[in-house]
Amino acid sequence: MRILLAEDEKELSRVLVTAMHSKGYSVDPAYNGLEAVEKASQGVYDLMIFDVMMPVMTGIEALKKIRAAGDQTYIIMLTAMSEINDRVTGLDAGADDYMTKPFSLKELLARLRSLERRSENYTNDILKFGDITLDSNEQRLESFNSISLSAKETKLLNLLILNADKKIDSDILIAHVWENEDDLDQDTLWIYISYLRQKIQAVNAHVEIQGKKGGPYQLTNTSGGESNDSKVSL
Amino acid sequence: MIKIYGEFGPYLSQIKDDVIKKLAILNQRECDNNSTKLYEHLIGRVKAEDSMIEKCQRKGLPLSPHSALYECRDAIGIRIVCNFIDDVYRALTLLRAADWCEIVKEKDYITRSKPNGYRSYHLILKVTTPYPSVLADTAGTYFVEIQLRTIAMDSWASLEHEMKYKHSITNSKQIVKELKRCADQLASCDVQMQTIRQLIHEED
Repeated sequence: MRILLAEDEKELSRVLVTAMHSKGYSVDPAYNGLEAVEKASQGVYDLMIFDVMMPVMTGIEALKKIRAAGDQTYIIMLTAMSEINDRVTGLDAGADDYMTKPFSLKELLARLRSLERRSENYTNDILKFGDITLDSNEQRLESFNSISLSAKETKLLNLLILNADKKIDSDILIAHVWENEDDLDQDTLWIYISYLRQKIQAVNAHVEIQGKKGGPYQLTNTSGGESNDSKVSL
Repeated sequence: MIKIYGEFGPYLSQIKDDVIKKLAILNQRECDNNSTKLYEHLIGRVKAEDSMIEKCQRKGLPLSPHSALYECRDAIGIRIVCNFIDDVYRALTLLRAADWCEIVKEKDYITRSKPNGYRSYHLILKVTTPYPSVLADTAGTYFVEIQLRTIAMDSWASLEHEMKYKHSITNSKQIVKELKRCADQLASCDVQMQTIRQLIHEED
């Protein structure tokens, strides 16, 4: 992971950089908000850690500028224990998390590991169920044959595999797959269920999406073997 | 150059045309029955003598009409190119029921595509003709290879063919990978079109 650290206390900055380096992270230190904004606009980072109280430009201002530029990098704010308003302002301005000073190095490193798990394991996932394999990165469904999926089909199948053998209501599927689209109705979901059914058939798999138009839908194994062997392969 | 088809060479083109006519009749009957057309187009070819000689040499067969017409069974080849996957299977059903031919071999590369992404349904038909043939006890028997595929599968095969015959490709590994990805995307479109078509007809 590449990390941008903005902390004006030189001694604290040095300790944090050393600790994160020792765990194999690459860290660029900045010593005020303006410097952080400049570095963020030039480099690619997986994580940014900003102190709130900094000279020249505060961490909150830097955060706002970075978000306004369209940067969606995960940002953790460092705030003083008493300043609840700072935390609220920070989160509302687009921060993803905060830590209160003084914090333990152990906790910071645990958070970095947690973040790494989420970004690596949960987005690069390859899911298996029955005799099908879903590669969400490549948007590809494989069994005895392989076929491409659209982004929505991938999301839908991903959800069905993670909840295999459960009857899932249409509303839940629509809410998860089509998040912010208002005009989505049962008919569209039905068309996507139909696409997935035909594609599962086209790869010759022994897996089936059960359910009539209107739902609920249930992904099941039809090969007669172990019915729930869905797992995330790391 | 030797004539590997021997005295039977002149009949091959005729047999190819006869089978194409039979397929055209099947298509016409489907159209007359208020169904959609069976295929988009047909093409046929008689395998060039030098290609057949090369094939027999590769398989270690003696260079004879018997090898070219009985051991190898693709001297006559016809490709049926369909609009939709369903049409491929409809044509297959009609051929299985047809009285003028017998299917002696089937290979389904649609449900199980080749590792490179190739998709097609291959058949070997045995047809009885009024022409003399190599063996006396199988009077008039000839074999015809049929390839059934969709337009998308056909376009892909053309592209793959171009790559195979251009020997000096600098980044062939990437091209092979991209061709495979493309085959999966075309298969996705074929299935998507078939699904939409079924949804339309559900409401009939």
